[in-house]
Amino acid sequence: MRLERVKDFFIFFASIGLFLALWEAYYWIFVKNPFILSPPSKVLVTFVQLVIGDPKFAETGFSMPLDMLYSLYHYLYGFSIAILIGFSLGLIAGWSKKVEKFLYPVIELIRPIPPIAWIPIAILLLKLTHTAAAFIIFIGAVFPILLNTMYGVSSVEKKYVEAAMTLGATKTAILLKKVIIPASMPAFFNGLRVGSGVAWMCVVAAELFGVSQYGLGYKIQLARLYHSPDVVISYMLAIGIIGLILDRLYRGTENRLLKWRRGFVVE
Amino acid sequence: MSEILQIKDVRKWFNSEGKKLLVLDGISFDVRAGEFIGIVGPSGCGKTTLLRIIAGLEKQDEGEVLLRGKPIKGPGQDRAMVFQDYALFPWRNVIGNILFGLEIRNIPKKEALEKANRFIKLVGLEGFERSYPHELSGGMRQRVALARALVCEPEILLMDEPLSALDAQTRNVMQSELVRIWSETKKTIIYVTHNIEEAVYMADRIVVLSKRPAKLLDLAEVKMERPRDRFSKEFIDLRAKIFRLIQS
Repeated sequence: MRLERVKDFFIFFASIGLFLALWEAYYWIFVKNPFILSPPSKVLVTFVQLVIGDPKFAETGFSMPLDMLYSLYHYLYGFSIAILIGFSLGLIAGWSKKVEKFLYPVIELIRPIPPIAWIPIAILLLKLTHTAAAFIIFIGAVFPILLNTMYGVSSVEKKYVEAAMTLGATKTAILLKKVIIPASMPAFFNGLRVGSGVAWMCVVAAELFGVSQYGLGYKIQLARLYHSPDVVISYMLAIGIIGLILDRLYRGTENRLLKWRRGFVVE
Repeated sequence: MSEILQIKDVRKWFNSEGKKLLVLDGISFDVRAGEFIGIVGPSGCGKTTLLRIIAGLEKQDEGEVLLRGKPIKGPGQDRAMVFQDYALFPWRNVIGNILFGLEIRNIPKKEALEKANRFIKLVGLEGFERSYPHELSGGMRQRVALARALVCEPEILLMDEPLSALDAQTRNVMQSELVRIWSETKKTIIYVTHNIEEAVYMADRIVVLSKRPAKLLDLAEVKMERPRDRFSKEFIDLRAKIFRLIQS
């Protein structure tokens, strides 16, 4: 068991190490031009400078902590509305077949349109604002949340509803609160995790178009104009790391809140 | 004793592939307050349907079901049901499941907890308050389901083959436990089972149903003192009599 873990650890670092070595070699053999690509050794230095707010970058407006805050603001703005609307609609549509039938055509029409295709209309309608970014993020995140919640609610086993009714819960509001919502939480969390992933991608896409002067996506684009691939890649790294942290956050919360679901394991 | 429940000429059809299938064919009997009623009959005869009608989960097509003289319109706080597969809420632990009915009744938290703990003791679940249903054995789940229904203090407790998933040993223990709990709480119990021995062991009277469409074959009175001896002549004779009645 312990040996396994040492081995896994070794494989983990070997994998990353080999990737970085190939990248470094590729740069020095084929590229050798700091204006079109940077080697990982350079990216690491730039990344640290950006994080600690080195004046070299701060003077031109590249402040990674601030950009992160703006991006997280866009993310939370759009994502919280997506949760609100996706969850409520999902709850109603999952509960009532009529509402589901009514919503279905519109959902199926809009859902296949990539969120990125909404950017032009969002900018026309809402101008270059935080709200325009939030709108794109909303479009990206709302469908996974809505559809998963709907699925969760409609697949709550009838026996739980009946059991609750024979225990005195005969009002719809109480059934929703005490049975339907807790029973469909696993599906809801699934939608939340998928939706969050899409939302984070949409943050970057929306910011690329310059909805604000700060934001990780905007700075990637700006750094390209300055021909600073080390900055571009540093920001890419930041986007990846935050995306990973968000995913872990949801997984952690899910595992804590839904430990009842961890079936068959008696500890 | 007064009659708490009257079942009058109840008929029920099911829709099966466009055809109407008669399930209950004119069932009538009364239940007295505090009585332990067993309902037996072959599998698929409609016992569960009858119980679900009393619970208010289904509606009869003809006839009347009166609770204290008033027709049943739906599920109510005066009746609680224990399901065949327990239907415990998997997202609630043992104490959470038992508190469910008390939360619905808006009983203050402290009082509710005291009450829940009393019933946990009654069914012998001390030490498992924080366990989730998936961590419990079949017999323990059954106890949780029983406590969850009893804690609501319904006038009538409806039970749908609650012991059928248990092994013979545990089932016998649970039968004695049920009789003990029944005599301590003085509830009216309507108990559906396909196991004749179970009904003869526990019930005051046994409603014997035929195979589908279910007709009332007999309303057998069990006069033996409790605890009953499963190997006494009287016990075996009654068991055989009901068995033959269903077979014929």
